Amino acid sequence: MLPTYCPSCNEQLKVKCLHCENCQTEVTGKYDLPLLALLSTEDQQFIIRFVINSGSLKEMSSELKLSYPTVRNMLNEIINQLKEDEK
Amino acid sequence: MLNPFTRIAGWQAFGIGLVFVLITGITGTFSNVAFDGVIDMHLVQKLTVAQSFQFLTIDLISVVAIMTLTGFIISKGFRIIDILGTLTLSRAPLIIFAIAGFFTISPDKNEILKNPYIIFQSVSFIIVSILSIPVLIWNIILMFNALKISCGIKGNKLGIAFTIAILVSEIISKILIYNIVKI
Repeated sequence: MLPTYCPSCNEQLKVKCLHCENCQTEVTGKYDLPLLALLSTEDQQFIIRFVINSGSLKEMSSELKLSYPTVRNMLNEIINQLKEDEK
Repeated sequence: MLNPFTRIAGWQAFGIGLVFVLITGITGTFSNVAFDGVIDMHLVQKLTVAQSFQFLTIDLISVVAIMTLTGFIISKGFRIIDILGTLTLSRAPLIIFAIAGFFTISPDKNEILKNPYIIFQSVSFIIVSILSIPVLIWNIILMFNALKISCGIKGNKLGIAFTIAILVSEIISKILIYNIVKI
């Protein structure tokens, strides 16, 4: 999993360097991590499954074998997390 | 046991809950256990099938109505069917009270009025009363989780809202039972 927080001071990490494996070019700078990358692996998986299921909570609940309101609450948690990270 | 609503809610919970309510109502009729309040039940001298189901229906309507109102106040979005379903299934532990009624001998009402201490002479009544406490707590925990999952709320807001809602629904159910069933 992509590290998003500093293991030393717990501050949010920035992207400093990107590397091309084909021509070995390196792009350095100071880039923000994508908002979705800041989510936990489980939350990212949830988002992927949600998109694959055409955004249907009903489909998600039958796939995860969880009740509809539980899945909706999980989505609300992610939305709140994204709103927090967006600030 | 304490939170089945992470897996069951909506119509499915309503269907299962309704089966429990039906069995509770029939059993309660024969064991003379009246569910005359959302979190209240009493041993009575005589109970008809109609009265038993009137009590259970009023209890359910009261708690669902008040919890739905609570949901509208404190939650951003929820489905009424989830409240109805989860709260109906929350009534499942009541079946234990209905069965316990068969093993309880309650002293006569008039004798209790004459001498309230006579109640302590009924061993079965005391044992069932003590054993009923964890069942009642289980019932309340289920209702708490029903509101929590259905409305997606947590923390102090949930605790305060649930406490007020359960007390208000108990009062409303008592008023309705007193005015409609008149037992």
